[in-house]
Amino acid sequence: MEHHHRSDTLDRRSMMRLVGSASGIGYAANMNQINAFAQDALNDQLRASGKRVILLWLAGGASQLETWDPKPGRPTGGPFAQIQTSIPGIGISELMPKMSTRLGETAIIRSLNTKIADHGTAYELMDKGRVNEAGVDFPHLGAILARELGNIESKVPDYVSMYTSTEGRRKGSAGFLGGRYNPMFLTDAMMPENIQRLEAITDTDHRDRAELLDQLSKIYARHHSHPSFEGHHSAYGRVRGLMASDYLFDIERESETVRNQYGPTQFGQQCLVARRLVEAGVPFVKVARAWWDSHGQNFETHQELCADLDHCMSTLLDDLKDRGLLESTLVISLGEFGRTPSINGSLGRDHFASAWSCTLSGCGIQGGTVHGKTDQDGNTVVEGEMNAGDLYATIFAALGIDHTKEYMLGSRPIPIADFDSTPCYPILT
Amino acid sequence: MLFHRIADSARYASKLFFMNGMALLSILTQGEIRAESASRDDLIRLAEQIDREIEASVEHHLMAPVLSDAAYLRRVTLDLAGRIPSVSELKRYEALDTQDKKYETTKQLIESPDFAYHQRNELDTLLLRALTNDRNWREYLLETTRNNTPWDVMFRQIMTPEISLPEDTRPTAFLKHRLRDLDKLANDSSVIWFGVNIGCAKCHDHPLVDDWRQEHYYGIASFFKRTYQTKKGMIGERFDGHLRFDTTEGETKDAAFMYLTGLSIPEPQLDLEEATLKEYQEKIKKAEQEDSADTPPQPSFQPRSELVKLALGDETQNFFAKNIVNRIWARLFGRGIVHPLDQIHSGNPASHPELLNLLTAEFIKKQYDLRSLIHAITLSNTYARSLPTNDGSKDNQTPVESDPQDHEEFEEAESKFGHAVPRPLSPHQLSLSLLIATDHPEKLKEKIETNWEQSRGQLEERSEHLAQKTEIPGENFQTPVSEALWFSNSGEMQNQYLSTDSNHLVGYLKEIESDSEVISNAFAAILGRPPIQEERDTLSQYLSSRSGDRTETIQQIAWVLLCSPEFRFNH
Amino acid sequence: MNFSTLKVTNEWPGQEIIFCLAVDPNRQRLWFGCSDASVYYLPLNEEKAERVNLSGDGHSSYVTGAVLAGQKLITSGYDKKLVWWDTESGQQIKTITAHDSWIRRIALTPDHRVISVGDDMQCRVWDAENGENLGSFTDHEKMTPHHYPSMLYALDLSSDGSCIATGDRVGHIAIWNAQTLEKTAELETPEMYTWDPKQRRHSIGGIRSLAFSPDKTKLAVGGMGKVGNIDHLDGPSRIEVFDINSGERIQMMENSKNKGLVEQMQWSPDGKQLLSVGGNHKGFISVHEVETGEQSHIVEHSGHIHAFSTDFENQVMITAAHQRLARWSFQIEDPQPQETKSLTHGDEETDNS
Repeated sequence: MEHHHRSDTLDRRSMMRLVGSASGIGYAANMNQINAFAQDALNDQLRASGKRVILLWLAGGASQLETWDPKPGRPTGGPFAQIQTSIPGIGISELMPKMSTRLGETAIIRSLNTKIADHGTAYELMDKGRVNEAGVDFPHLGAILARELGNIESKVPDYVSMYTSTEGRRKGSAGFLGGRYNPMFLTDAMMPENIQRLEAITDTDHRDRAELLDQLSKIYARHHSHPSFEGHHSAYGRVRGLMASDYLFDIERESETVRNQYGPTQFGQQCLVARRLVEAGVPFVKVARAWWDSHGQNFETHQELCADLDHCMSTLLDDLKDRGLLESTLVISLGEFGRTPSINGSLGRDHFASAWSCTLSGCGIQGGTVHGKTDQDGNTVVEGEMNAGDLYATIFAALGIDHTKEYMLGSRPIPIADFDSTPCYPILT
Repeated sequence: MLFHRIADSARYASKLFFMNGMALLSILTQGEIRAESASRDDLIRLAEQIDREIEASVEHHLMAPVLSDAAYLRRVTLDLAGRIPSVSELKRYEALDTQDKKYETTKQLIESPDFAYHQRNELDTLLLRALTNDRNWREYLLETTRNNTPWDVMFRQIMTPEISLPEDTRPTAFLKHRLRDLDKLANDSSVIWFGVNIGCAKCHDHPLVDDWRQEHYYGIASFFKRTYQTKKGMIGERFDGHLRFDTTEGETKDAAFMYLTGLSIPEPQLDLEEATLKEYQEKIKKAEQEDSADTPPQPSFQPRSELVKLALGDETQNFFAKNIVNRIWARLFGRGIVHPLDQIHSGNPASHPELLNLLTAEFIKKQYDLRSLIHAITLSNTYARSLPTNDGSKDNQTPVESDPQDHEEFEEAESKFGHAVPRPLSPHQLSLSLLIATDHPEKLKEKIETNWEQSRGQLEERSEHLAQKTEIPGENFQTPVSEALWFSNSGEMQNQYLSTDSNHLVGYLKEIESDSEVISNAFAAILGRPPIQEERDTLSQYLSSRSGDRTETIQQIAWVLLCSPEFRFNH
Repeated sequence: MNFSTLKVTNEWPGQEIIFCLAVDPNRQRLWFGCSDASVYYLPLNEEKAERVNLSGDGHSSYVTGAVLAGQKLITSGYDKKLVWWDTESGQQIKTITAHDSWIRRIALTPDHRVISVGDDMQCRVWDAENGENLGSFTDHEKMTPHHYPSMLYALDLSSDGSCIATGDRVGHIAIWNAQTLEKTAELETPEMYTWDPKQRRHSIGGIRSLAFSPDKTKLAVGGMGKVGNIDHLDGPSRIEVFDINSGERIQMMENSKNKGLVEQMQWSPDGKQLLSVGGNHKGFISVHEVETGEQSHIVEHSGHIHAFSTDFENQVMITAAHQRLARWSFQIEDPQPQETKSLTHGDEETDNS
């Protein structure tokens, strides 16, 4: 296929030369991503504009019929009514009353056809924007955006992922981008592991020994220098900065009014942490809300989970907007797939990836729009079909990142959005 | 020659087994299939050949000097024992005054309990590409590394477990972990055993590599198409199952049972009554679903066995042997002779094709003996070359940032193995080294000298916890910040590894009165070398300037050395 | 009684999920409500009975309750409405919005009052003739302890119409004096509610059915026991029986072979046996000996059964299930003495789900 082309000339040596010439990047950056360096000027511009992403990950697969693409009155429609939204002619499920009045900055995509409907593989697909290829370790969305939007010298984390439920918990990885872009992963607690100083050591000692390490590392580097050593040095160099950002995870520092707005659920608290993080400059935060896998009692499950989603998502959007952050923050609500239009004997809905929905709000998004259409029962996409690659291209485009940008894996160019994917321009500003 | 004969008879037995389906192999326990140890002279001859090939390819002035004794021992102990050497081992090595000290020491390391554990961990990571908690599988691997089971025998056991070791479900993990995904099974098998990534040839002929076409991809996948797993945990093969694929021209083709060399195996006509076939299929279905089901019948045409035969019978390209030789080389040098490791094809020539051919031929001649291969390489001067050194005059100067001409030469030397590159420690290497470095040096000495077999087993157990948390280094390893945070702020680091009690390094150091001795001892235990003057000055100043608890100061110093890049890498 | 002869005699498969049914006292006419928001009439006495859709705007969501009050049929739905129908003409007569959320169940008292429960957590009383609201009361929290909306699923009336029982998602039951609408007792069945704090972080379960014993001294509570994987109706069906006066639980019948929810229960006229229906993907009809707790009979059904009606006198049962309606027959080995009370007016007409 034509999208592969020989680039044998881009061997490691010429990459190293480029690395060397890209001042200020240092060795912690991946040596293989030659194009990334070539486009550095553009990246700096983006970083300066401070774009951020919050991914509300609806793990297990939320039902599009009980959220963004209701089919009231159809055999597949389920019992919930449709409510009119702030967009003329567009209704969403009555389970999302708060969101129905807040679609001004949100675009609904109703036409995802991603085909894969088992949790593990579909998660990989939707978290990487492409089908896994054996032998190639693609980075996950958070790592790509941490790299594209983050600052290598940043004191705050650049990829925070919260996933407290254990079902379907997957960490996500930076793949070939390297460990620098791995997520700071929160599972049990609201505070990241090892981000706070032990009481056994004083702050002075903690700082002094870090300085001592820095001194000794520099002495060593005068005799033996290597990018790997530099990367190691830079990881330790980030420790104190990250520790200083521990307050970002402490929602007690928010006023009671704000905490009450987000509400008492864990998802709400995590959305508040996410807002604190993006406000402080963290480029990518994922808040996983598990577990939507409603094979039995779909409607009851969605009554619970949609209530949580509707409240937390609308509070988050309001809060970001009030603080002037929504223009530069893209909020995505997405899971690994949707749910079957047909209703099974346990009043459940099963896995379904042929015609489902997600939303994009804020940064770069033409709000109040709906893209794509499914048939009257929701079984197939009839208009504006998008796959995972198209969604990723849209996300990148919304953030001002060229979706055709390539990373080089050895001699192989790998575009950040899958081959042949196209951004959904009508929902972009 | 005794071993040789046993090995031969094992091969013979397994051939017999292939022929009549009887479990002849079980009369020879796995432990008896072992490769013949290569003689000292053979090993040294091979090491010298390696050096000749490398030295001929790199300009003399670009060649880094050979390591000091202490630095060599650290490197080779990490590579053979999976951990840093103890202070007592270093002292002993430095004191050895024989011509053969390298050979003797490496021989001892290879025969130590350490090697079997380390080799097991390395093979586990290679074969499953993850650190698993699969105890059975890891126990099986440990058995093979203890017995030095030849690589071809392991290949056969792992790829056709139901035939090679029908009573043993432990080696099934390789297939089992990938059974749900035929693409993964096919491509991982090809990458891991043959060094060939065919993934890109699934939907179209490989766009970058002329060698690989769609038929290769589906050819390899065909060998796995019939594989299934029984409820009891054994692997089996069905009597039928074919792959078809669509070419980019829109043609639909039947996939052949085709190996990477292009050689394919025609499937013999299935000589079964329809009713019998149906009955067999039912039995297989039952075995897939029920614990109590009988062992299902095996077809006479067994694709995975055919793949094993094709791979081992390939005398022209030797993908199977070449791959592991290249992988072992890369493990010891940080880079393959063919690089990347999964790109063995005509468009990606080896940096030293003759050397690769030579090592491959020797490896096959030595009955696929991994130990001999590893041992010979570690005896070479090439293996013992140091990192490129700076003149020390400028802060943070890197070869890359210096003159482009120099840089190009530097790169050239690196890709031709004229100097070493730092290699990140594997999760187990890091975890074990941390345990060794922070142990009480005297008590550790005693353990090593008295009952190391047992102590080493316990050490392995203790290393699991941290190893599981540590990232497996990939191609572009960067120390993750989560690791730096763990070293900086975890209770385990502070309370266990840096414990001030009498079983740990800090507890040992705090009893030493002289600051200077404390510094020397800390360097010896953690970095395996004495400090240079500048380092000594910096630390002395810290020790004297810091008011407060001396033990805490010693803890800080130990911490600093443990967090140094020098500790984190093999160099 | 012996239910070993219980078997399907007629079956009406369809596309809809059938949630509720009402049968006339003569067992000749049947009405049922479905997921297509329709109410259907089925003449049981006809050889090849075919359903007729009642005409009118009716409901706009799932129809979950149906009771027969003389010539009127009253239905309830997730659309929050009560709808009155004329059974002779098949015409809709009247509609009121009765709750602020889904109506889960309705029942009819002998003095023709309609009792309804809904997810607004209210129990409400209506004049069955004119639809006038006669009272509202609740003892059920709007939110679960885990900050999600709770649900008020279950309702039953004692056969004399003097007592009302209501049961919610978290396992709380209140018993009421049907005249004064005052609470007379409370019971708890926390096992019916499974909250998964770690793996999935939501809940499943709830009290799905309540049934007063014929002498109204006991109350059976139906639902599902603790569930491991709350993605599915994977827990054991569960029934707890309480002595109302003492508040003590006198029996617990859990069956992990019949998984899922107990959707409806009915006592045998002698008060010895308890019939229950429900299921997960599949359905079941189960018979328990209340004194011993032993399950004396179990029949599996191809669809999850949401409601049923049993006529002990004529030994006929009708089940409303996922995509099918079925009529069953069974035999009673020892004919019941004449004085044993047959199904009362109220019981017959409050078949609902």
